[in-house]
Amino acid sequence: MIELIQVSKRFGDALAVDDVSLSIERGELCVLIGTSGCGKSTTLRMINRLIEHSAGEIHLEGQPVREFREEVLRRRIGYAIQSTGLFPHWTVARNIGLVPGLLKWPRARIRERVEELMALLGLEVEEFADKYPSQLSGGQAQRVGVARALAADPDILLMDEPFGALDPITRESLQDELVRLQARLNKTIVFVTHDMDEALRLADRLVVMNHGRIIQQGHPLELLRRPADGFVESLLGGADRGLKEAALLPVSQRMTALDDAPLAEQRVSQQATLREALSIMLWRHADCLTVVDAADTPVGQLSLRQLVGAGDARAAAGRTDTDQAAG
Amino acid sequence: MRPNSVLISLMLVLLATWLGLDAVSVAANRIVPGEGVGVGGIAGWPGVLTSLMPMLAVLLLAWRPTGRHLRLALMLVILMLTALPLWLVVAAAATVDPSLPQARMAIGPAVWIAIFVLLLALIELRGRVPLPSWQNGLLYLLPLLSLALSLMLDLEPLALRQEYQVRKSAFLTAIGEHLLLVSAAVGISLSLGVGLAMAMRHWPRAQRFGFTLLNFLQTIPSLALFGLLLAPLAWLSDRYDWLAALGISGIGWAPALLALIAYSLLPMVRNTYVALEEVDPGVIDAARGMGMSRAQIFRQVRLPLGLPVILEGIRITTVQGIGLTAVAALIGAGGLGRFIFQGLGQAAMDLVLLGALPILIMALLADALLAALTEKIRPGGTH
Repeated sequence: MIELIQVSKRFGDALAVDDVSLSIERGELCVLIGTSGCGKSTTLRMINRLIEHSAGEIHLEGQPVREFREEVLRRRIGYAIQSTGLFPHWTVARNIGLVPGLLKWPRARIRERVEELMALLGLEVEEFADKYPSQLSGGQAQRVGVARALAADPDILLMDEPFGALDPITRESLQDELVRLQARLNKTIVFVTHDMDEALRLADRLVVMNHGRIIQQGHPLELLRRPADGFVESLLGGADRGLKEAALLPVSQRMTALDDAPLAEQRVSQQATLREALSIMLWRHADCLTVVDAADTPVGQLSLRQLVGAGDARAAAGRTDTDQAAG
Repeated sequence: MRPNSVLISLMLVLLATWLGLDAVSVAANRIVPGEGVGVGGIAGWPGVLTSLMPMLAVLLLAWRPTGRHLRLALMLVILMLTALPLWLVVAAAATVDPSLPQARMAIGPAVWIAIFVLLLALIELRGRVPLPSWQNGLLYLLPLLSLALSLMLDLEPLALRQEYQVRKSAFLTAIGEHLLLVSAAVGISLSLGVGLAMAMRHWPRAQRFGFTLLNFLQTIPSLALFGLLLAPLAWLSDRYDWLAALGISGIGWAPALLALIAYSLLPMVRNTYVALEEVDPGVIDAARGMGMSRAQIFRQVRLPLGLPVILEGIRITTVQGIGLTAVAALIGAGGLGRFIFQGLGQAAMDLVLLGALPILIMALLADALLAALTEKIRPGGTH
């Protein structure tokens, strides 16, 4: 668990982070989002003391971070960054084994751990272990970066725009990978990004920052439905919000049971999102889909009316809308 | 396939100079000026025609530079380089009268240019013909073997060799002095330079002043610097007996070494500073974020990543030092420069060559060795 209590950071006269309070639960994936210069990276880097905070307190499992020796603190926290920061003169295997090496693990255990992590991140040991970072593609390098961050099995992982420099396809596959890893490893992750789709996709908790302050925080759906102000709303995509929300909701939530009517021709998986279902409808010019399970057995149906949740006035009434959204 | 214009131009230059300029010059003794002899005057027309064959062949091969043709051209260039020393033996036998023990033959412009042009052709061809390294080594071995063989055989009348024969032991001493001065200067300026660069990293304010001072030192002409050091060193050795006992005085090795160090410091400090400072900030950020201490980052990241740039500094300093040490002979520091200045004084060009050629070879060797070393330790395999 990470706790920031009224934390501020001053660089000379400029206030980079202003009175930020934030509590991140164990196993939570917390995404800090905002425009560049909003203080999100600074906030992240204060947690492992790459930047020292000027005021307030930061606690790790109830203990102030200032009470740790810097190096000891950082070896307990995984760290992955956009430029990967892999050592160009070290092989992939040696890069991944960096922190275990600093912690003086026995050599055999480091090798074992490195191979385990490479397998976990889909890097063939025979193919990649002895390669140098310059021989890797962007996506491979970032996988190595994540493996290195996980090497000493830290409870906490700090990720500073780790997928920011990758092409969209690689980025999405690494996001999926992270979701998969998180389901398995259950780390406490603080993730900084300026890409809202990435944020909505990954976050258990979304923290919107602007000018060094936290504007709003909560579950992504909560922010989508009730943005605190025009800034949050425009960051969340303005008029696109409906689609972004649909991307977070599974088909299973809106489908209805099968009735006697003949099955609709087009099918959709029950794990798919409402957004994907809508896309199939648009593409196939269909207003009703048959929902199937993993074995392709029909389990329900989804009409366009059900998909958009028409008639659910109670849900719609709870949403806030500021004037900027219309424009 | 387009003709290889580099090789063609080189061969045309070679043909023109080989036929047009003097190959050797012959003198009855050391004092009288030599008399130029062309290629035709040595071996007659059959000899000239034979010597033209490989040049014309390379010219033709370069017209259609396929892999096989270039390989053949490379062999021919090596053949010509190998033949040159042997050809000089023939020239000596043909032109020097054996009844005059003082008679000598000096190498003329046609031969010097031939060596130069053939080496250029070798460089051009080496870039285009892939060879395994043992064959590569063999390439250079053949001409060297031929040179050694010719010297053993019968190159007695070669003026350069006569100058050497007279100064055999002085020559070896001079090479020793030269190498000692250069390595001492490089060694001391390396340790001083690394120390200064680290100090500058630690106190950024000292950086500007430091670089200004080093830049200033670099601009003083070498002779002026020797002159400037003369008075203070003479005064110091006069005043402190133990300095005099060490052999320190206004002239000799002490001011030479000091001047060499002064000149070496700028490239050394600059390269070391840049090497340690310009490591990718992302790498340093990651290293800190992973929990490496400052010392660990220095030893395991900055130093190995900066080493090629530091070695580059050593290379510049060494090559520059080998050249500068020649000038140090003027203030009695010894070294190969001594022959150059003696030769200039006696108008004996072959004596100048006896000093200059080894300096040239030493500089080229040091450059090649250190460049190869830099390449070898460049981190990350491929870039």
